[in-house]
Order: sequence, then structure tokens, then C-alpha cells
Amino acid sequence: MKSKPTSRPLITPTSSDYRQHTREADEVLAANQVEIQPDNWQQLALDWFAPDEPDRAELARYIAVHADRLGVTWAREVLRLQIYLQAQDHHQIVEHYDRAFRAYPRCALFEVWVAGYIMRTSGDFWRARQMYLNAAEELSAHAKPHYELGFMNYLLGDFSSAVEQFDLAVALVATDDTELGPRIFYNRGLVRFALQGTSAKSAVIADLEEALRRDPHYAQAQTTLRALKGKARWTPW
Amino acid sequence: MVNDQPHLEVRQRAYPTRAAAERSALMDLEFAVNQSGNKGEPNLAEIAWTTGDIKRALADLPAIVPAHIRREFQRLLQPWPAGRYVEAYRRSGGILNLFTPAWGAQQDEVWSTMSAKWQATVFTDAPARRMALMDLEQQWNTTPHPFFAGLTPAQVMIGGGPLEAKLADEFLTQLDRTLAKQNFVGEGAALIKTLMLLRGWQVEPQRGGQTPWQIIVAERNDLLLRRDRALANRPV
Repeated sequence: MKSKPTSRPLITPTSSDYRQHTREADEVLAANQVEIQPDNWQQLALDWFAPDEPDRAELARYIAVHADRLGVTWAREVLRLQIYLQAQDHHQIVEHYDRAFRAYPRCALFEVWVAGYIMRTSGDFWRARQMYLNAAEELSAHAKPHYELGFMNYLLGDFSSAVEQFDLAVALVATDDTELGPRIFYNRGLVRFALQGTSAKSAVIADLEEALRRDPHYAQAQTTLRALKGKARWTPW
Repeated sequence: MVNDQPHLEVRQRAYPTRAAAERSALMDLEFAVNQSGNKGEPNLAEIAWTTGDIKRALADLPAIVPAHIRREFQRLLQPWPAGRYVEAYRRSGGILNLFTPAWGAQQDEVWSTMSAKWQATVFTDAPARRMALMDLEQQWNTTPHPFFAGLTPAQVMIGGGPLEAKLADEFLTQLDRTLAKQNFVGEGAALIKTLMLLRGWQVEPQRGGQTPWQIIVAERNDLLLRRDRALANRPV
């Protein structure tokens, strides 16, 4: 799930009270000496929420298109969202997204990061799916929407479409991506196995080996690869 | 069809969501209408198809069966429509679909693509347009649907049989043990875990070499054939 390792102080969720969490988030901002002003709100939103590509380019584009409707208040909500994402406060992420951003134009980048939390809290599968479909259409350079749709198709039991989406994610993910990349290859391998069984064994092994090339410490991939190579008849679940 | 001695069986099971627990009750009723008697007597569904008389099919239900269950049986035994089997959206879909969050025409990406294409087509006349729509609806009825875990709407409508009932029981028992040991941040996380377990389970070959998915599809196809034969043999 989206979270960026930083040295900023984190919040430990203390209660489900929205206002309480908002105060705590603002305390984190104050502790980091963040003052959102009319002349720096865009920069802060980009630096906090989307420091890396391709997210940064997309958020910059969104800001440029909707600049007349955004501003200091919007940027504060973005920074608060990022703090909740760092803290992995699932419920607060969803509640804050629903409350704070309904006043603004829909942002596919926020949707792609928040949808997973919507799924994991309320289980609102179809809402999350629509968010990923929107993101897949609007964020043509992003692997993540396709990865998430691949995963959703797998959960639905539609293995062929899952592999198609994972293939799209593979085509888009950067060769040096060590965060999402390993998961894309690992999950594509699993679904290939679900679809074709042992006849896909060599393709599955190739996917697992690529996952481990990107992240040598990926424990699930290590276990699965060892088992798949070691036994004639084995399933990865 | 039903055991001679009515009895009450209480089972406690863990489900990831309330909706799945409720749908499980519907799944059991679908199994029940396809359950033949101990001596090979026709099941509720066969009686309804053969006679065209739902009341007759339900006549032998024990008095202990509550009214709301009888109404559910009645709904399940209604004749299928000539057009699209939209009632499939309200069926359980069996163990393969038990945990899929409820969906309908609004979420049906397959039907919306099909109907958009039909709407964009120019037909010679209104009857041709209507015929094309009827063909399209039949196509939808008999095409594996990605949101039904690859079952066709017709396979969903027919419900599961005794083999699927046994497989479902095995999976749900295994699931119960798994869910009891874990904590989840929300209902959704439990649902995701359940679906991952289900999809792995459904492709794992059983003792006979077939996977649960293969067994379930074969049984539902057999039930569909039996329905066709029963309807064909119905007295005019």
C-alpha cells in the first residue's frame, strides 16, 4: 500500500474521531514546520504527495488544469491525506478522502491510491473497481491501475482478464521499480498458474525470478519459487 | 427430495461479510431444489419443470418450513424468462460466487458493451432490431461471465447440485478455521483474503484429478440438460 519512508514523525491512530485525527495530522505538519501559503501550496502538494514520477507529472497536470478551484485549503487536505497514508490509518484515509475531496474535481491519482483502502475497509468492491477503471483510462503511463485491476479480476475468478491486466502493468512498470514491480510479476505468475496449471510452470518461474531480481528479499516469491522448483506437484496457495 | 424425518440443523460458520452469510442461506436453498430424494425421486426443480406447477412441487415440504423460505423456493422455481436471465443477478452463483459483492445491471460491463454495440447498429427495420436484441440476450445467457467466476448466467440460474454442495461445505469449513485465526483491518480485508483462498482452492485438483471448478461446471451443465429434458417431456 502507498506509503513513503520518511523521517517525518508518524501518527499512531488513537481514535476513530475524524476531527481528532485531523488535529493530529496538523500537529505533524507543524512539527515539520510546514506552512502552506498562497505562494507554495502547489510545491508542497507535489513534494509531499507525489515526489516521484510518473505521479508527479500527473499531479502537476491536475493542478494546472484545475488551478482556479484548488489552493491552500486543498493542499492542506492533500498533505493530511499523505500523513494518513504514511500512518496506514485505513479508516481515516477513506473518511478523509470522502469528506475532504468531494468539493474538488475528481483526481485519478488520488483514486488509484485510495481505492485499495476502500476495498480493505468497507469492501466496497465495485466502487474501488470504478476508481481503478477511471485511473486506467486517465493515467496512461501508470502501471498501478492495471495491476490493481488484474488483482480484482483474479478475485472475481476471471483469470484470463487478470493476466491481460498484469501484462499491461508489466509493459508500463519501470525496469528499476522495486516496489510495485515485484508484486506485478509475482501475481502474474500466480494467476498464470491458476489459469494453465503446471503447463505454465516455466513462465511462472520466469515471473517469480523477475520479481526476485527486483526485490531479492521478497519472502513470498522466495517461498513460492523454491516450492515450485522443488516439487513435481504443488500449488502456491 | 427431503428426508422423511424433518430435523433442525444448526451450524455456526465464520464469513468475511454479512452479505456472504446471507447469500450462503440462498445457496443452500438452491442446492435443496436440485437435491433428489434418497430413492431417486425427482427433486423440487424437476417436479416444477415437468408439471409446470410450483405448488405441486412444494406440496411435500414439511410444515416446519417457514413461510419466508417457502417464498424463496417459489421464487427459485419460477419459469425462466424468454429474454435475458436478469434473475441471475439475484442468485447466489454457488460457492464460486458466494463472496463476490452483490452486483447487477449497473456493474455489468459485459452487458453494457453488448447493448451499446446493438444500439449503435443500424437495422433494416424494427423487427430486425428486436430479433438482434433477442439474439444478444440469448448470447448473454450462454456466455461465461467474468463477474460470475466464468459461469454463464444460465449456469447461475440452474443452481448447484449435490457435488457442489459437498465441495462448498469443505471449503467453508476450511475457511472457518482460517478466518477464526486472523484479525483484519476491515470487512474488506477479510473478503480479499477469502477470495484469494477461494480462487486457489477452485483450481486445485481433487482426488479424481478434476478441480472444484471443473466439477461444479460439469454438474451445472448436467442439471441444465436435465431441465431441458424435463421441459421437453412436459405434457401439453
